[in-house]
Amino acid sequence: MTSADGSRHSAALATHPDPADPTPTPGGRLPRRPGPLTVASVVLLLPLAVLAVTTDRFLTLDNARAILASAAFVGITAIGATLVMIVGSAVSLAVSQTATVVAMVFLVTQHLGLLPAVLVALVCGVVLTAVQGAAVGYWDANPIVLTIAAGFAVGAAATWFSGGTPVYPASDAFVVFNRTLLGLPLSVYALLAVTVLAHWLLRRTTAGRQMYLVGENRAAARAAGLPVGRVTVLAWAFFGGCIAVTGIFLASFNTAATVTLGGTLTLDAIAAVLVGGTAIAGGRGSALQTLGGALLISVISDVLLLRGYSTGMQILVKGLLVLVVVIAVHLRTTRGWR
Amino acid sequence: MLRTGTIRVGLTAGALGLTLLATACGDGAGAPPGEGTGSSLAGKTIALVGYGNSNPWGAYFNKVYGEELASTGVKINDMTTMDPGTQVQKFNQAVAQKPDLIALSILDTQAMVVPIQKAKAAGVPVLAFDGPPDPSVADDVMSVLSDNEKLGEYAAQNIIEGLQAQGRDSGKIIVLTGTKSMLVTQDRMKGFNRVLAGAPQYQVVDEQDANWDPQLSGTIAQQLFAKHGRDGVQAAFGMADYMALPIIQAAKQAGIPVGGKDGLIVTGGNCFKAGIDSIRAGEMYGTATEDPGTIAKQTADYTVRFLTGQNPPQREVIEEGRVTAATLDQFAEQCSKV
Repeated sequence: MTSADGSRHSAALATHPDPADPTPTPGGRLPRRPGPLTVASVVLLLPLAVLAVTTDRFLTLDNARAILASAAFVGITAIGATLVMIVGSAVSLAVSQTATVVAMVFLVTQHLGLLPAVLVALVCGVVLTAVQGAAVGYWDANPIVLTIAAGFAVGAAATWFSGGTPVYPASDAFVVFNRTLLGLPLSVYALLAVTVLAHWLLRRTTAGRQMYLVGENRAAARAAGLPVGRVTVLAWAFFGGCIAVTGIFLASFNTAATVTLGGTLTLDAIAAVLVGGTAIAGGRGSALQTLGGALLISVISDVLLLRGYSTGMQILVKGLLVLVVVIAVHLRTTRGWR
Repeated sequence: MLRTGTIRVGLTAGALGLTLLATACGDGAGAPPGEGTGSSLAGKTIALVGYGNSNPWGAYFNKVYGEELASTGVKINDMTTMDPGTQVQKFNQAVAQKPDLIALSILDTQAMVVPIQKAKAAGVPVLAFDGPPDPSVADDVMSVLSDNEKLGEYAAQNIIEGLQAQGRDSGKIIVLTGTKSMLVTQDRMKGFNRVLAGAPQYQVVDEQDANWDPQLSGTIAQQLFAKHGRDGVQAAFGMADYMALPIIQAAKQAGIPVGGKDGLIVTGGNCFKAGIDSIRAGEMYGTATEDPGTIAKQTADYTVRFLTGQNPPQREVIEEGRVTAATLDQFAEQCSKV
């Protein structure tokens, strides 16, 4: 994004409170009472910390690696989803299907060579998602309705493309994505890289700051002359790139791609963003918070599994966690505007 | 310049036009197989309330079942789905249409009890294939079933054989099952546990519900390897090949050797091409059949016998096969269709 737009609105940006800061502090004073998010964090994190450190094998290097590895796929997608939520587009419900199509495209183009296959997969993910962003940004399409429709269309295309049967690669060059470096899968490094990139984009670029402004008040942003459509498309395009990276790693990990490969990626990514404290209404949040959300969910699943609880219990706890954080964020937001 | 309203109307009209075009062009998919062949079953109708084409197993079953019956002239109404709630609706719809036979693959055993009773009351014959119905209505339907207990037994035999071949006189096993509420899963675990009871030196240390989900299987496997340590697991059972393969990737990323003289013994099920390739590469020790092509052929054969009045037995069970490196040539082609 050029600096032309940014310089025009530099005054507004300068006076805008830090969008990643959870609690407004009018006049620079510290809040007298802890906010609902702080209370919720303490209530959730303290028992979790106690539970974790008293769990056998939790404090091991292998377990730390497992937590990071299991957070990677969902985390990469969630980082992209953060930008979409910040820009005020709520959520996309077409993530699993898009990741599946990208995975299929990545595997089916292996005969072109690894790098061309990666590029084609990235372009596929970015285009499929940016088109939806254009409909939201330029024509005010409802993102929920739009992405439900897009999910059906993309899923149907995947079924048509594959005939419902698994897609296999022509070569096994993709196995490079399953390698480890210093004991960690490459997907973990991808998660960290994507997080740094998103953080830089949101905090250090004009486009990133405009995403917060558009998300906070779309009408005002448009009235102020901000390029609402362009900023929205950029957020969705970044999201599409993240979905594509996830699709590439998913395809490599499973060595084949079926229509159901994306699994519960859509809802898992949304959960990670919400647990990170990003406001679903837009205008607030950060990539680092989402990374924290993804890791928190992974830690909770890990602790429950180490303690012998079933997968069903893990899903139940994840649902309750999302509910608590969403309520806390809502309370914080409503109090903040009073 | 076009106004936003005009663009919206244009987009809506375009979408409607595309839908109509797709419907017109896609009509061939719903055409009755074998129409015009004028053979013995012309005029008869089957409602296929089976697994949807979004499922690889279902897609191949539907293809083979249609092809096998094409020459008979029977009309097949495609009422397939992967959603249990939708399946109940489609089944009730099929009963109202009074076809000559409903071919059914059950997604939710409990939810289908009442609909099956309704079909019986309406005099519509039902043929359940693959998984069994609830025992309370088992006598109300005909069935062509996979031998799920046998499939579980084969998985246990693979693990015992693999561990014994490595010269291990003890071993810890992890199990990642399909959806535990399904009778298919329960029957497989019955067979698995029965055989394993004869080799008490090998113990299951963790059994988790991975919901037939490859992504979840990989995540759970990562956590279980951390929980039990690198030397704490000697064998793993993923109930389907597409669940066993992520287990192998998770093991590799955790630095655990797979296969060979002292590596992790992994066995799968519902054999498919990637599983066969993995056995050939010396990674997965073995798998078992339940391939959709074999079941589709036997179900089609049963359908013809029933509709031509040959009065087949009420229940037929598919003969399953155990696949290891030793029997690979025998099953490779059968298992490589999906």
